[in-house]
Amino acid sequence: MKVLVFGEVVDGTIQNITYELVACAKKLGEYLTLVTSDADVSSIDGRVIKVNAGETNPWHYKIVEKVIERENPDLILFGNTSSSVDIASQLSAKLPVATSVYEVSAENGEVIVKSLSYGGKIIVELKLTTPAIAVVNVGSYNAEDGKGTASVEEIEIDELGVRDGIEFLGYIKPEEEDVDISKAEVVVSVGRGIGDETNIEMAEELAELLGGVVAGSRPIIDQGWLPKTRQVGRSGKTVTGKLYLALGISGATEHVEGVKAKNVIAVNTDKTAPIFRVSRLGIVADVNELLPTLVDKIREIKEG
Amino acid sequence: MKICAILRLVPDLVEEIEVEENEIIPFRYMPNERDEHAVEEAIILKEKTGAEVEVIGIADSENEADLDEGLGMAAAKGADKLYKVVLDRPTYKRCEIAKALADFLSDKNYDLILTGIQAIDSYAGNLGGILARYMDLPYIGGVVEVNVSNGNTIVKKELGGGLLAEYKLPLPAVVSVVSAERPLKFVPFTKLRQAMKKANIEEVELELPEIEGVEVLKYEVPPEPEITLIEGDVEEVADKLIEALKELSIL
Amino acid sequence: MDVEEMLETYFERINEIPNSDKFIQCIQCGTCGGSCPYGMGTLFTPRRMILAVRAGIVDEVLQSGAQWLCTSCFTCSLRCPSQIPITDAVIPALRELSLLEGNPPEELAAALMNITRYGNSFRESPRKRDRWIKEVDFEVPLISKKKKAEYLFITECFGAYHRRCKEITKAFAKLMDLLGTDYAILGNEERCIGDLVRLCGEFGLFEDLAEKNIRVFEKYEFSKIVTHDAHAYNALLREYPRFGFKKEVVHHTQFLYNNLEKLKEMFGKLDYTVTYHDSCYVGRRNGIYEEPRAVIKAIPGVKFVEMKRIKENALCCGGGGGGVWLDSFIKDHIKERPAESRVKEAASVGADVLVTACTLDVPMFEDALKVTGLEGQLEVKDISEIILEAIENS
Ligand SMILES: Cc1cc2nc3c(=O)[nH]c(=O)nc-3n(C[C@H](O)[C@H](O)[C@H](O)COP(=O)(O)OP(=O)(O)OC[C@H]3O[C@@H](n4cnc5c(N)ncnc54)[C@H](O)[C@@H]3O)c2cc1C
Repeated sequence: MKVLVFGEVVDGTIQNITYELVACAKKLGEYLTLVTSDADVSSIDGRVIKVNAGETNPWHYKIVEKVIERENPDLILFGNTSSSVDIASQLSAKLPVATSVYEVSAENGEVIVKSLSYGGKIIVELKLTTPAIAVVNVGSYNAEDGKGTASVEEIEIDELGVRDGIEFLGYIKPEEEDVDISKAEVVVSVGRGIGDETNIEMAEELAELLGGVVAGSRPIIDQGWLPKTRQVGRSGKTVTGKLYLALGISGATEHVEGVKAKNVIAVNTDKTAPIFRVSRLGIVADVNELLPTLVDKIREIKEG
Repeated sequence: MKICAILRLVPDLVEEIEVEENEIIPFRYMPNERDEHAVEEAIILKEKTGAEVEVIGIADSENEADLDEGLGMAAAKGADKLYKVVLDRPTYKRCEIAKALADFLSDKNYDLILTGIQAIDSYAGNLGGILARYMDLPYIGGVVEVNVSNGNTIVKKELGGGLLAEYKLPLPAVVSVVSAERPLKFVPFTKLRQAMKKANIEEVELELPEIEGVEVLKYEVPPEPEITLIEGDVEEVADKLIEALKELSIL
Repeated sequence: MDVEEMLETYFERINEIPNSDKFIQCIQCGTCGGSCPYGMGTLFTPRRMILAVRAGIVDEVLQSGAQWLCTSCFTCSLRCPSQIPITDAVIPALRELSLLEGNPPEELAAALMNITRYGNSFRESPRKRDRWIKEVDFEVPLISKKKKAEYLFITECFGAYHRRCKEITKAFAKLMDLLGTDYAILGNEERCIGDLVRLCGEFGLFEDLAEKNIRVFEKYEFSKIVTHDAHAYNALLREYPRFGFKKEVVHHTQFLYNNLEKLKEMFGKLDYTVTYHDSCYVGRRNGIYEEPRAVIKAIPGVKFVEMKRIKENALCCGGGGGGVWLDSFIKDHIKERPAESRVKEAASVGADVLVTACTLDVPMFEDALKVTGLEGQLEVKDISEIILEAIENS
């Protein structure tokens, strides 16, 4: 099976999802990656076609169409991310598509995928006739497996004969306090069990290492240790991402009403804490002992 | 200016869904939350520009009654006209809906067509982009703010991690909304009921085309994640936690 | 809406509520604001709300958000020399204007939307309302099976879904079980009774709930309703008759009092110092003061102490009138939540246990224990829980 990966570039940087998709493609057969914006693509493993068509833009689907014509892939992989979905979605007017995919396999020239749907409550297994599109969730494959050395072919946009319909006007960078915990994939949340304001720094460090944000239960916000925008619960925000890591939170109804993340991991000294009832993993431990060890170990993994 | 927003029904996840290998049977349906944001954004545009707003509700013969609340809500918020589009059969293939809808919309002359960016039942495509291609209109999704001026729309698109980007599209265009500029407006019960009574709803039946290429092999409920409670010394539990983070591909 | 329309809508609503003609008799004495637990939090105390309506600047009240700073504790209404129905009319009608404008505080909007859709504020399936009966070791009869019972037990939403409040429901059901009471529950046929919805100004939704609930009541044969939910008690007693519901309604404190002789036989000893919190819709609004006290005092070993603010002067827990869905909004306007002040008061009189008789109180006070650092020193229990404990100690 021949696979085309759509490499995602945002603000001049190859996004991690690209490597994840390459890791997925590798398992399926022959593959190449297409990148439609200017970026350093040297560590994408394998063949790369680079067309510099400016910043990420939904009209780039036309470039993908041209490359599909030229390369005849059986499967085109996109990340389930804001800018890639714009393109995948337009191409799927002509090609069979599966979305929210977390597993892709090839069988007798057909594509079989598994999609996590209905808010993670139902797995849908789908068969797609090739050529097809799969829109793959972030974190489904290991990015490291997609890194290596690229052999890059550059194509001038003029050669493809496609025109621009939509104008990119510019990026708007977030301000520090703009963090929206309800949209974050990973939320490290602290409760009264954290004990002391100084321990919040450690939680912040952990959140940063995990690519997430820090939130808290109401008492933490009441104390002024975290801003109001970080409160999880009935009178705060609802978190919906992939992981909610609850540190020293008991799990009062008012709090749990705001916890709709796909996975909850809780750390609490009290074995009977109600938060464990909504967790997939419960760790009976003292957060203040666990945090430094955990942060050290994760830092090691990240650096090593 | 004339704007439309598409409002489709999805299973209500608060209620349990019966899952069989080749079929899922929801207990009831509710409007797709992202579509509700598309409707809200349309209403905001009406406030900003005086545009005429039409809301197109989509259901099938099995769930059409559940559409009334969503349409009533749109009417109460100020939608000028409502359509209740009833598809001749249920389908999970978004391209089939998009195709039927594209034909239906072709003579309506909307300057802007708003949809929600996705739905909890999007496993075979997202409506907005497909619709745009069938209608041959420019498209952008992931949008959190829409403005219009001089035959163009300028939108803010979310790119993740708080980063936004601004784009300009010529009108007419299809735009898929993640969230409206403001929280969904509250509609009290009486107002909703009044709106539902008064609402000018045109009912339309649409025949879906058959489009091959995607087939559901089976539906299944993922195994309940067992609640594992672990105890031990800090080193040990830290390692187990790290393992779990790796399993979730967070590390 | 422009101000004219607002005033018109306002008076239309007010005029439907009993005694609201007293509105014009306001003498601007300020007793209301002086009595209000949130009086310090806003420029628009009830007195000034009335003044603003008279002056035609109702929009300014709405902009200030003052209409949401009310826990419906009823102190102002009780003390008002002109007997103006402030809690039932003046404030809910202002709130209704806010709802019609489409922008109530977000957490409240979510709760009301959930009640509209699911019949409970917790965004839980109505088909899970009876789940608690699977968590007890005795059989809880469903009226749909039993068809006929002396008492219909209304659990209300908090009692059916809230993790902590469910424990109160279970304790009271257990007591009825032990007493051999002929009772049954509606199970999944029950939906929000709606007193908080009404006090929040969502009159349309309240009417709809009342009509639907009454239609369900009419399906079955029972002679009285009993409930541990003070607001459900209030609405069933005072509001539902307007919609044609005419049965006797008993609060669980009254029920326990009526069964005191039997209970006494079962009591063991409890070694606690106990104080009692008069919940607004048990005490001040509905005059039940002595029954719960008599029941608590009957437990052998219990030392009963009173707080300073008791009976009609008791301080509210802050949960009523939608307070349970306005926490952030309220916290933005005041320094100390009333529940925090109340648990401190209970601790200051030397109580080990603060007994209450309203499902909303328990989570409000338990949370306040955490905020004030009194956790471990003071416990919060519903009256049915302490009774059950006394029985289990025998
Ligand atoms: C109307 C209302 C609205 C509310 N809204 C919200 C809301 O939006 N959000 C919210 O969060 N709360 C809300 N609350 C408050 C809620 O009821 C709880 O009081 C609050 O969530 C408790 O926060 P917590 O879990 O951090 O503290 P606690 O309940 O005190 O829990 C602390 C936990 O930490 C554990 N612990 C202690 N030491 C350690 C240690 N060293 N290591 C590990 N674990 C330890 C303890 O065992 C305990 O389980 C609301 C309350 C009310 C009444």
